[in-house]
Amino acid sequence: MPESVIVLDQLAKSFGDTQAVAGVTMDIPAGEIFGFLGANGAGKTTTMRMLCGLTKPTSGTGFITGHDIWKGRYAIRSRFGYVAQRFSLYPDLTVLENLRFFGAAYQVSGKQLDDRVETLLDQLDLRPKSRALAGSLSGGMRQMLALSCALVHEPALLFLDEPTSGLDPVHRQQIWDLLYELSSQGTTIFVTTHYMDEAERCTEVGFLHQGRLLAKESPLGLKGHFKGQLLEMQVEPVMEGLARLRAVPGILGVALRSGRIRIYSAESGRLVAKWEKAWPFEGLTWLGHSWAAPDMEDVFKAYSQGYTAILENAAP
Amino acid sequence: MTIAAIFRSTASVAKKEFLHILRDWRVLILILSLPPAFTLLLGHAFEETSMTDAPALLRDADHSEESQKLVERLKANKTFAWRDWTPDTAAPVNLLKAGALIAVEIPPHWGGSLNNGDPQPLRLTLDGTDTNTAPQLRGAIQEDLGQFQLDSRQAMIDDLPDEVLELGKKIPEPVRKRFVSAMSPWTVESTILYNPDLKFIDYVMPGIVGLILQLLTVTLTACTIARERESGTLAQLLVSPLSRNQIVAGKVFPHLIVSILLIAATLATGYFHFHVVYRSPVLTAVLCLLFLLCSLGTGLLISAFCQTQTQAIQFAVFYLFPVFPLSGAFAPLDQLPPGIRSLSQAFPLTHFCHAFRMVSLGQVGVSSVVGDLVFLALGAVVTCFGAALLLRRIQD
Repeated sequence: MPESVIVLDQLAKSFGDTQAVAGVTMDIPAGEIFGFLGANGAGKTTTMRMLCGLTKPTSGTGFITGHDIWKGRYAIRSRFGYVAQRFSLYPDLTVLENLRFFGAAYQVSGKQLDDRVETLLDQLDLRPKSRALAGSLSGGMRQMLALSCALVHEPALLFLDEPTSGLDPVHRQQIWDLLYELSSQGTTIFVTTHYMDEAERCTEVGFLHQGRLLAKESPLGLKGHFKGQLLEMQVEPVMEGLARLRAVPGILGVALRSGRIRIYSAESGRLVAKWEKAWPFEGLTWLGHSWAAPDMEDVFKAYSQGYTAILENAAP
Repeated sequence: MTIAAIFRSTASVAKKEFLHILRDWRVLILILSLPPAFTLLLGHAFEETSMTDAPALLRDADHSEESQKLVERLKANKTFAWRDWTPDTAAPVNLLKAGALIAVEIPPHWGGSLNNGDPQPLRLTLDGTDTNTAPQLRGAIQEDLGQFQLDSRQAMIDDLPDEVLELGKKIPEPVRKRFVSAMSPWTVESTILYNPDLKFIDYVMPGIVGLILQLLTVTLTACTIARERESGTLAQLLVSPLSRNQIVAGKVFPHLIVSILLIAATLATGYFHFHVVYRSPVLTAVLCLLFLLCSLGTGLLISAFCQTQTQAIQFAVFYLFPVFPLSGAFAPLDQLPPGIRSLSQAFPLTHFCHAFRMVSLGQVGVSSVVGDLVFLALGAVVTCFGAALLLRRIQD
C-alpha cells in the first residue's frame, strides 16, 4: 500500500448557513488518478479550493504530504499544480511568456526553466503557438497551456478542476493521454469531471453528493455495488414507453440508452415475470428485453438520485 | 527561500506587469501623451487671472465733454468689449438677450451734475449668474471712474486761476499741507516675495502635476488586482509560492516607472514651455516619489478591496472627486471653512501641493516640509501594506 498523499478527516466548509462540504473523510494514495464526481454544486470545487489553501476549512483537518492544508499552506504551495475550472492565464501574454512567468513564480529559473519550457512546448504540442497570445488560442490549446503552466515546476500532485469541460473529443483524449503519462511517472492526480467515460479511466472515484462523500472506490468496485444487472426493455413507441414505465410502482427511474429503456428497479425480475403473464400497457408493443451490466453513468445516476434500493452498502 | 529567489520571483511579477502595460498600447499612448497635453492645456487655461473682453453695453445719454472723456477711458480698458447701446424702451436692459454681462449708462446731464456739486451715479446693470464676474466687472468700472475723478481733479487744480492760489497762501501752513496731502493720491509700495512676477503657472504647477498623476496612477492601479480577480488569475497567483507582499511589490514597481516618466514629462513641459523654475531638485524629486508611492498604494488598496474592475473604477472616481476642489491644487485652502480644511489635510495631494510650493517658490529647506513628507511616506506604507493585507483577508 503506497503512502497517502492526501488525508482528509471530517473536512467541512460552510458559507453562512449553507454547508458546501459536510465533513469529508478520505485518503488518496500516491500515484493515483482520483476522479471526483458529483453534480454541479455538490461541493467538488470548494473541496479542491480548500486543498489548495485558497479557502479556509470551517472544521475538520486535511493534510497534503503531512502538511496541514491551511496552517501549512505556504509550505505546500510549490508541491502541487492547480488548473482552475475556468481559463485563468494572462490572455495578453504569449504562450511562452505565460509559461516563463509561472515558472519564475514557482522559483524555477535559469537553465532549469529553459529546459522545462522546451520540454512542455513539445510534450503539449504548443511549440507552433509559442509566440501567439494566450487569448488568441482555441479552447483546447488554452487548456493545454493551462496544464503546462501547472506542470512547469514538476509537481508531484496535480489538481484539475474539470479540465476537459467544453473540449472536443480529440483534445479530451490528448489531455487524458498526458494524465496517464504523468501518472505512470508517479504524479498523483486529483481531477473533477462530469464525463463518465473519464471517470472510468480513473484508478479511484469519489462520489460527492450535497457535500457528503457517498462512496470512494475503483470504478469496478463502484459498479459492483449494484444488486445484479439492469433490465433493458425494447418497446414501441419508445418515448411513450419511457413515460409510462417511469410511472410504474417499484421503478425508481428509467433512462434511454441506444433506443432501449434502462430500468432502475430492485424488482426488475419480478416485473418481467409479471409482464410476461400479462402486458398491462395498451398501445405499447413489447419487442423484447435484455440484461445489461451497469456502467459509470448508472453509478452516477443511482448515487445522485438516491436509488439506494438497488445499491449494496450504500450510505443512506 | 533565499533573498535572490525572493527578488527573482518578485521581478517576474514586475516583468509580467510591464508586459500588460506594453500590450495595452492604446492606453499606453494615452497615458504618455496626456500629461504634457494636460499641462499645456491647464497651464494656458489658468494663465490669465483677470477677465478680458467681457461683452458689455455702453450708452452715453449725456453727450457732454466729461462723458466723452469717460467713454474714451472705458473703451481703452481691455476688460470689456464694448458695444453701443441704444435702448428703444424705458424697460430695464435684458442682458441675456443682448448677450452681455454688463450694461453701463451715463445718465443725461451727468457732466453737468459733476460740475454743480451734485454728482450723479453711473447706472450699471450686471449679470449675477456667475458670482465671480459681476463683482470683478463692477470693480473695473469703479476703478476707471476713480481714475477719471483723480484726473479731473488734477486738471481742476492745474487750471486754478492765480487769484485762487494767492488766496490759498493765506491759509495757515499746517492746514494747507494737509489739504495738499489730501488732494494727492495715497499709494502703497508693495514687495512681492517668492513669486515676484505673480506668475500663476508657478503657483498652479504642483496642482497640475498632482492632478494628472493622481488621476492616472490611481485609476491604472485600481484595475490591476481587480482585473486578476475577475479573470481568475489571482487564484492562480495565490496558489503559487509568491507571497502577497511580492505580488503587491511586483505590481507597484512597473507602475512606479511609468509614473516617473509621466512626472518627468509634466515637469519638463512646465520647464521648457512655461519657464517654471524648480528649486531644490533633490527635495522635489523625493517629494514626487513619495507622492507617487502614496497614489499607487491608494490605487492598489482600492483594487484589493473591489471584486471587479467596474467597482474599482467607481471607487477611484469617488475617491478622486473631492480631492480636486479641496486639495488646494487650484484654489487656496484658506477659502475653505475650518471643518472642511481639516478634511482636506487627509488628502495626499494637499500635502504634495503645499510642500511643492514651499520648496519651489518659498525656497525653504527640508525642515519646513517634514510634516508633509512624513504624511506622504506613511500614506505610501499604509496603503501598500493595506493592499497586501486586504489580499490576505479576502482570500481567507
